[in-house]
Amino acid sequence: MKEKFKLLDVQLKLALLIIFGFFFFYAIPFPEKSRSFPQLISVVSIIFVLISLFFDFTKQEIVHGEIIDVDDAEVKILDDETKRARKRRFYKAWGIIIVSSAVGFLGGFLFSSLFFFLGFTIFFGEKKDLVKNICIALGMTALIYVTFEIIMGVPLLEGILW
Amino acid sequence: MDMVLQAIEFVFQWQNMAALVGGSVYGIIIGVLPGLGPSAGMALMIPIVLKWNPATALIFMGSLYKCSNYGGSLTAILVNTPGDASNAATILDGYPMCEQGRGNVAMGISATSAMVGGTIGMVVLICMAPWLADFALKFGPAEYFLTAILALSIIAAVVQGATLKGLAAAGLGLLLSTVGFDVITGHLRYTFGWMIIEDGIPLIQGLVGLFAVTQALVLAESASSISRLSKLSGSFWEGVIIYFKHPMAIIRASLIGLVIGVLPAVGQSSAGLLAWAEAKRESKHPETFGQGDPEGLLASETSTNACMPGDLVCTIALGIPGSVGAAIFLGIMIIFGVIPGPLVFAEKADVVYSLFVSLVVTSFVIFIFGATVAKHFAVFTLIRNEIIVPCILVVSLLGSFAIRNMMPDIMISLAFGIVGYLMLKGGFTPIPLLLGLVLGEMVETNYHRALMISGGSYSIFFQSTISKVLIFLTILSFAGPYMGPFWKTLTQGEK
Repeated sequence: MKEKFKLLDVQLKLALLIIFGFFFFYAIPFPEKSRSFPQLISVVSIIFVLISLFFDFTKQEIVHGEIIDVDDAEVKILDDETKRARKRRFYKAWGIIIVSSAVGFLGGFLFSSLFFFLGFTIFFGEKKDLVKNICIALGMTALIYVTFEIIMGVPLLEGILW
Repeated sequence: MDMVLQAIEFVFQWQNMAALVGGSVYGIIIGVLPGLGPSAGMALMIPIVLKWNPATALIFMGSLYKCSNYGGSLTAILVNTPGDASNAATILDGYPMCEQGRGNVAMGISATSAMVGGTIGMVVLICMAPWLADFALKFGPAEYFLTAILALSIIAAVVQGATLKGLAAAGLGLLLSTVGFDVITGHLRYTFGWMIIEDGIPLIQGLVGLFAVTQALVLAESASSISRLSKLSGSFWEGVIIYFKHPMAIIRASLIGLVIGVLPAVGQSSAGLLAWAEAKRESKHPETFGQGDPEGLLASETSTNACMPGDLVCTIALGIPGSVGAAIFLGIMIIFGVIPGPLVFAEKADVVYSLFVSLVVTSFVIFIFGATVAKHFAVFTLIRNEIIVPCILVVSLLGSFAIRNMMPDIMISLAFGIVGYLMLKGGFTPIPLLLGLVLGEMVETNYHRALMISGGSYSIFFQSTISKVLIFLTILSFAGPYMGPFWKTLTQGEK
């Protein structure tokens, strides 16, 4: 039972239950016509999620059996390593996204663009391709500036700082 | 007939052909950039075309409108990011084909679908425009509500084996569509004082997050490229041949597209999904749908392309736009003195038929573009992820930003990106959420309107024959995935 709660699938469904519940209760002070639709959808969605959770918790034996069947130590070790590597890359990607977006808020989207390209090419690319990748990053940023700022008039250099 | 011949002669004049090709190329570029859909593309060009001959200007805008959809298909196939909500169904089989290194074949199917679906749609439109407009008038709020519910029920087919998850995701989409001003009472809902969502959660920003940001994160996790095989197999022409091997699927998808197209506000996203689900239901190998089955791709693409002319029927014959793009197109027609309505076919027949003929020609321009230029785009699937990921992020977030020139829109996209990523990892697909978000306002508005008409009685939803047919199809759609195994057991159980 406890193991079930560790599954992302189950955690997401529980999160959905909270979200749907929130939408339902937050709508109570709304005028009747404004609240009826979101409340109806909330209730129906809660029912769907509850049924889905019921199935998740009742098929415990089947899932357990499947896990036992795939009892290959080598595959498992490799899989864990891949999983860790993927997780590392995911967090690195989010780091780049957050920093690039923050820079965009300060100086304008063009800086975001530059940081996105530099971040991914430097932190994800191979060292031997570093110079080539930096050139690509600068070229792409220049292309974006010409296409969107100059030709289409999108303000790419407007941020909090200026 | 004379009018059509005159229109053909007019469209093939050099200045009109230049407008047609220019509009097509511009439309494809606009469509490729997520966020800059046909509405933004047309709005940007209004000041330029204002001094043109009305028919030439409408030819330009019509080509732009049609080709932007094709541009959206290209990104849906290549990087799993639909350019617009109308391309949502394209990713179901288009992107898996790219992952298998069959990007060129997918390109061939997409371009051929644009040509065949668009041509069938336009020819039927030219012949049956007045009749189709009458059919659309038979739809009241209850029928529109049920049509949207039918589109949502298609989720049962989209996420086979996870129907409940799909329905929950659709529920979340519908709930998110209620954020902002209530169209019926004007009451503000779920905005928490955040002004930028007072007009509702912006659809394009949500779409960019759910698909582009999610896809970028998924790609960033691995060190290779979109094509898992790191090589391309198959050719553009193989896609063309595969396409013509499925005549029945083409006819079915075209019919679905046409019918959905004439229903205002139901939109191309529903048409693509409905045709995909129908093709899956009819297929001898439904288990391959969603895993790179060319039949799934051709059904969704043909239907979406056939839907656009139907959409124009309501816009031109009734003045009721079927989508945001069509609404802008309607505005442009009025600017040029072509007042939509039943009389437009008599009063401005030359302009209207020139537009229709130009859209048929545009379908062929798309195919030529696909065969000569777009087929080379498949090599993008071989570019390493450290290059393609920032390209996807920058172009899509730029599209999200450029709509209102507001950096907080990027936050909305990133938030949807997290939601999309978590959903994907948890075995949910973001498509039902998107569909719920797209159809939410239509569902709610027509739900209230129907109840207002009936004085609060729910019987209005079961009265007309159209309603009954729609309810039957919805039940069939919900039950379909479960009825397959049941039917098999029933018929083969004795063996």
